[in-house]
Amino acid sequence: MKRFTVTVYRHNPAKDQRSRYQTYTVAVEEGARVLHLLHAIHAEDPSLSYRYCCGTGQCGSCAVRVNGEPVLACMTEARDGMVIDPLNLPVKKDLLVDMEPVLGKIASIVPKDVECIPSRDEVEALKPLRSCIECLACVSVCPAMEVAEFAGPLSMKQEMRLAIDPRDSCDRITDAIRDGLFMCTTCQYCWKVCPKKIEIPGKAIEKLRRMANQRGLTLPRHAEVATLISETGRSVPKNQPTFLDQVPEVIEPAGPVRGTVGFFVGCMYNNRLPQTALDAMEVLSRNGIRVIIPHEQVCCGSPLIRTGQTDILPDLMEKNIAAFTCRGIDTVVTMCAGCGSTLKNDYRTPFVVKDVNEILTEIGIEEPARLPIRVAYHDPCHLLRGQGIQKQPRELIARVAELVELPVKCCGAGGGTRSGQPEVSKALAGKRAEEIEKAGVEWVISSCPFCEFHIGEHSKRPVKNITTLLLEGYRRKDQDRGGEAGESAAA
Amino acid sequence: MRADDTVECHVLVIGSGGAGVRAAIEAEKHGDTVLVSKSLAGKGGCTPMAEGGYNAALREGDSCVLHKEDTIRGGAYLNNPELVDILVNEAPERFLELVRWGAVFDRTEEGEWAQRSFGGQRIPRTCYAGDRTGHEMMMTLLERLRASNVSVLQEVSIIDLLKREGRVVGAVALDRNGELTAFQADATILATGGAARIYDISTNSATGTGDGFAMGYRAGAELIDMEMVQFHPTGAVYPYDARGRLVTEAVRGEGGILLNSKGERFMERYDPERMELSTRDVVARSIAREIAEGRATPHYGVYLDVTHLSPEKIEEKLPMMLEQFLAFGTDIRKEKMEVAPSAHHFMGGLRITPRCETTVPGLYACGEAAGGVHGANRLGGNSLAETQVFGRRAGDTAGRAPSRGTRIDTRQLENYRRKLDEFHSGGVNPVTVVKKLQEAMWNGAGITRNVHDLERTLVDVEKLAKKKLLAQTPMNRAECFTVQNMCLVASLVIRSALLRGESRGAHVRTDIFQSWDAANSPYGHTYISIHHAGIEERKVPA
Repeated sequence: MKRFTVTVYRHNPAKDQRSRYQTYTVAVEEGARVLHLLHAIHAEDPSLSYRYCCGTGQCGSCAVRVNGEPVLACMTEARDGMVIDPLNLPVKKDLLVDMEPVLGKIASIVPKDVECIPSRDEVEALKPLRSCIECLACVSVCPAMEVAEFAGPLSMKQEMRLAIDPRDSCDRITDAIRDGLFMCTTCQYCWKVCPKKIEIPGKAIEKLRRMANQRGLTLPRHAEVATLISETGRSVPKNQPTFLDQVPEVIEPAGPVRGTVGFFVGCMYNNRLPQTALDAMEVLSRNGIRVIIPHEQVCCGSPLIRTGQTDILPDLMEKNIAAFTCRGIDTVVTMCAGCGSTLKNDYRTPFVVKDVNEILTEIGIEEPARLPIRVAYHDPCHLLRGQGIQKQPRELIARVAELVELPVKCCGAGGGTRSGQPEVSKALAGKRAEEIEKAGVEWVISSCPFCEFHIGEHSKRPVKNITTLLLEGYRRKDQDRGGEAGESAAA
Repeated sequence: MRADDTVECHVLVIGSGGAGVRAAIEAEKHGDTVLVSKSLAGKGGCTPMAEGGYNAALREGDSCVLHKEDTIRGGAYLNNPELVDILVNEAPERFLELVRWGAVFDRTEEGEWAQRSFGGQRIPRTCYAGDRTGHEMMMTLLERLRASNVSVLQEVSIIDLLKREGRVVGAVALDRNGELTAFQADATILATGGAARIYDISTNSATGTGDGFAMGYRAGAELIDMEMVQFHPTGAVYPYDARGRLVTEAVRGEGGILLNSKGERFMERYDPERMELSTRDVVARSIAREIAEGRATPHYGVYLDVTHLSPEKIEEKLPMMLEQFLAFGTDIRKEKMEVAPSAHHFMGGLRITPRCETTVPGLYACGEAAGGVHGANRLGGNSLAETQVFGRRAGDTAGRAPSRGTRIDTRQLENYRRKLDEFHSGGVNPVTVVKKLQEAMWNGAGITRNVHDLERTLVDVEKLAKKKLLAQTPMNRAECFTVQNMCLVASLVIRSALLRGESRGAHVRTDIFQSWDAANSPYGHTYISIHHAGIEERKVPA
């Protein structure tokens, strides 16, 4: 037996005004799950309410948050020091949340009059969506549902399942649009917490948007972006000298060459925030990275994939891949979280793709000077969940400034929401701005042009890219050195 | 309680697994139907956990006659043949109905329904959706339920049936806050599943506590073959707190082999012909014997091995097993599983007619709550079929029952209120009673039985049944009723086991020497009710 001390959320809304946390120390067997821990607590304190049933990850009754992240209590190994909260849904009591309003709204098949049996291929397409156990972990983390009348990832999964089922007789595309198909920011949180790993954004929402596109139901603002890309190769209009206008094809580092990479700039940094990309070049260069920048690179296609307009996607992919392969580049660096995620997950590249945070932490950078400021880091969804990059940005930031953690939340810029459903996007940014104010920091640091631009519009605090922060650290260092040199010269 | 707090309906369905939901869908065609779920509908019961499949004679070369023969032979000739006929004849129809309603069952490349081999079958007959067949069915049924006019009451625990003039006319329940509520119905269906939770090691979900058996018994209904408890051969043994967790028969159906700690494929000694795909009673006993005789694995099980199968096959055919074992630290593509028997299914239950009528007017039963279909041992894949075949029948019969509108006697509710009060002055934590009960049943009325252990265990169980349970808060009241039900069901199992002086199917009496085999047994069903108990005699076939 092992003894674990854990903290559990307690609240009886019928009686108590406020929730509280209660700490329990209980003994469980080797290998026990969180559910067994709850059973052990319940044996001592029968007033604790929680829901469970099958105990084998099949019924979806027991989802709770452990240390903030939704999990199935019956499948997650118990550990000392865990904090156990209810899902972020209306609490009935303690860990018991109200699941009925969401479950009751799941759409049902309306079978056609004629007999119709799905083929093996159709069955295989349906199966991944059918493994859903309706535990509501996805719904509990969806940012769009918090601010808009979005039916949520579970509903979208179901609409997709019905849309591709030959037996169903209804028009699921218009239903999905009515239920907020274009409100999803593709933050990926829903499927990262899904115990069955059903990729709802990629396998349901983007596919439904694709079907909507084929029926001419793409949002006008999204269609404009697609037109812009097909005409200019860029998703953002050019109204200033771009990054590519300002750089040579090869940037040689100042000192000895420690490595060579290709650089994929992306539309936002190229056309809207070129200075940030130039800052990144300076940091790479200072750290001995030789950067090759093919000028014929184009939009990665992410805005098209997210919004279901994939007709010209193969063209873009081919151009981009050729741009790097013809120069014999084996590592391509991205600094846009969205481009990086797309290149890594939607492309099949013959080269390795790395985010700038990865490359900088891997090579080990020159120490910058510390700046006397407090900064908060905003995790870009497409970096954190799209690429699994969490530690590296924090490691880099902590070298320059004091890092304050924010609750991890989508800012609302992604998935075409900013252009297509600006009210959803704004509402999310507004919430983000409040959290930033609460954190009491001077700057917000991020690593994604969409987040930087979007939060920048809504927050009172300046928003800077990690590489810009590093560069400021280097500049301070140079200034300090210059100062010291001057002083010693004077002496 | 005021009379107007009573929920009135034509059909009351108790239980929200495969049988209950199917019954409600059918009953609703005839009148107001209320489905009461102790859990959230579709999440409770054992249907969503059922992994392997649904038996239906669909392919060329198979027939309902073969399905019936296999079922009765597997059931050690104790099955009610009339109910078996219904099962095998209607299983294909109900299967295709699920398909029409949107179920996603596996198909072969040739465009046929994929069917795998399960124990005791001469022809692969088990349709499936990977290894999450029951879940697939439940999702389909839930969609249908949500689209129907059935009113679903979630997390309401029915604690007893209410009778008037010899008929069941409704039920009394506790809502999720532990407050009394009542139902009035022309027809009441028990679809409450089994009671394998009365054993220390069990595959069942938390709701497998036999409430329907207990309530039916208290209402005067007759139960049959309550000693017939199936121990699934392959329950997981690690981690300890999740022991018993079902490892589907599909693992063996897809080619998994059983090995003891010496690496011997021991089924060669027990059933050289059918090997791992022998019937569950035989495989479970063989495993128990290997363990008892010292050829056990480190966690006191035997090995179940699929490492000789291709990783792709395991990923496609057994995705859920793969995922579950990975979560518990075993990659079944590369490592052997460790398994041991686990209490799984009640073959016995409420005696029913082909129309699912129990012996008490106004009360119907279907699914695992009913007895007679599976005899002394159930074939894997037959119970998912049973839920649909008999769920529909129960719903149909109950739906067609005349509207009587008989009022419940609200004075009866006073007794329940008193009982609730008693729970608040009790002193024993229900959790400790359950633990003792489960251990007593596992040790004294488990895979093998003898008169001495059964009698001793009955004394222990009766003592536990008398404990003054404590409900610390109103929300704990339902738990107290459940624990009392578990104790009652345990005593029914033991008393029935004592009535059956033979070994038959899942029921093994080590203290009795018998000269007959199952086909020639002089005994029929055991029966037990508040009025009488006994064992039927039958003519031995010449």
